[in-house]
Amino acid sequence: MNYAIETNGLSKFYGDVFAVNKVNLRVKRGEIYSFLGLNGAGKTTTIRALLGMIRPSEGNVKVLGQALGPGGRGPWARVGHLVESPCAYPDLSVRENLDIARRLHGIRNPKVVDDVMNKLTIASYSNRKAGTLSSGNFQRLGLARALLHNPELLILDEPSNALDPAGIVEIRELLISLAREHETTIFMSSHILTEVNLLADRIGIIHEGSLIEELDAARLEELRSQRLVIDTRDLSKAREALASFEVTTLADGRLATNDPRAIASPELIATLLVNAGAPPIHLAIEQENLEEYFLRLTESNNE
Amino acid sequence: MNNFLSALWIETLKMRRSKVPLFTAIGFSIAPLVGGLLMIILKDPEAARSMGLISTKAQMLAGVADWPTYFNVLAQAVAVGGAILFAIITIWVFGREFSDRTAKELLALPTSRETIISAKFVVIALWTFVLSLFIFGLGLVVGKLVVIPGWSMGLLQTSFVDVLGTALLVIAMLPIVAFAASIGRGYMPPFGWTIFTVVMAQVAVITGWGDWFPWSVPALFSGAIGPRAEQLGIHSYVIVILFSIIGLVATYYWWRNADQTR
Repeated sequence: MNYAIETNGLSKFYGDVFAVNKVNLRVKRGEIYSFLGLNGAGKTTTIRALLGMIRPSEGNVKVLGQALGPGGRGPWARVGHLVESPCAYPDLSVRENLDIARRLHGIRNPKVVDDVMNKLTIASYSNRKAGTLSSGNFQRLGLARALLHNPELLILDEPSNALDPAGIVEIRELLISLAREHETTIFMSSHILTEVNLLADRIGIIHEGSLIEELDAARLEELRSQRLVIDTRDLSKAREALASFEVTTLADGRLATNDPRAIASPELIATLLVNAGAPPIHLAIEQENLEEYFLRLTESNNE
Repeated sequence: MNNFLSALWIETLKMRRSKVPLFTAIGFSIAPLVGGLLMIILKDPEAARSMGLISTKAQMLAGVADWPTYFNVLAQAVAVGGAILFAIITIWVFGREFSDRTAKELLALPTSRETIISAKFVVIALWTFVLSLFIFGLGLVVGKLVVIPGWSMGLLQTSFVDVLGTALLVIAMLPIVAFAASIGRGYMPPFGWTIFTVVMAQVAVITGWGDWFPWSVPALFSGAIGPRAEQLGIHSYVIVILFSIIGLVATYYWWRNADQTR
């Protein structure tokens, strides 16, 4: 299969320290792949290796079917990127910064600069010096540079950083439209797990340099643990009534159980509670969110 | 070729939008202006005597008020002032990419890194050479205004070779500064390196090894301590060219192969 991104045993170490350890990534064309990890987990090192900015200590990288060559040679005319925080020449205007990117991409038509400024809603700042932009608009400028040449593959490090809530929604919709309508492959790292939840087709979780989990978004739904949360006016009676279940007390005082019988038949729990004289005032199945799943996974790997 | 022209256009745009060209031109203009002031002081012994310490200093620095002396002051100013000012230009062209964190935007592009680095070197060479021409031209204007004796067309030609030759030797040593700015990823390490080489150049001249030390060669070529034929040999020029090539190769190699983690 011809993947948009393929790494085989990708490793990068500095002395005895492994920044990335034998990472095997397979990103299909047209999919949105989210790359999750704590600070220092190896996300940015991986992204830099994908872009030929650092040389792997071991393993190899293929981007859009092409192995990266010496001197960082790669199919960069078809790849857009935003690595770590965006950057621009502060004493040059937004338009001039984008014009530099256009020329470096060998695009003759200057209209692409106007198009991308309109797409990222920064046209009104076109003559403003980049150094005077707000952090949100600076982020948009970085994204505009990545999107300028309509790339087949976008590699984005924290694309929603510094954006306000409206901006986050706007960029999310833009990325979804690029993936669904233009079949652009998007490989993105993010700390905003709700964004990942809403965007990603597939998720890779990197921890201490190793890829510890790679799964489809649909599979993630199945893997996230569920629990039945219970609240009554008499919690001690409720606990007695549910003695045959493994019940824990949540931080807010309510009860919760992961017992599959309770999750499969919450009405059974309701009956037990009513019969014990502690009728439920709240009885709901809650699913672990991505954040909780992520923390559970990384913590279990630490143990 | 198109890629190179684009990269060259980009580097000149960055230069035009910066205040560094203006500041370097103003900074370098001090050389002919101070040279002109020395000539005024030395031209009038009576007035010079009344100035006391200033006239003594002027005599120690320059000698007599004539065109050969004035051109020699200009050439020495290019050798010493240029070593620092041209290095600042080089440090700015390369170091700003790290200071502004834009270096990472120059790596994964259809335009090769070698093309971008070549454009930077061409801009530095043009900028510093034009600055040297400007100083020579300004020197002529100041010299004419001050009205000093000893002018001849022959002297103009030899002095043009002295000043521009000195400038070319200084420019030839700039790739090492570019390399220092690259591996140092910013402004301070290459600036420290530049000061170190300026000081060491003086030490090499004092200890009699100046003709073997590439950073001393421009000052010796300018005639700072006597006729250059007595101070320099073919080996001196070979060493300058060798270090220039080493600087170029090292800079290209670094941008091509070093891990870019910023």
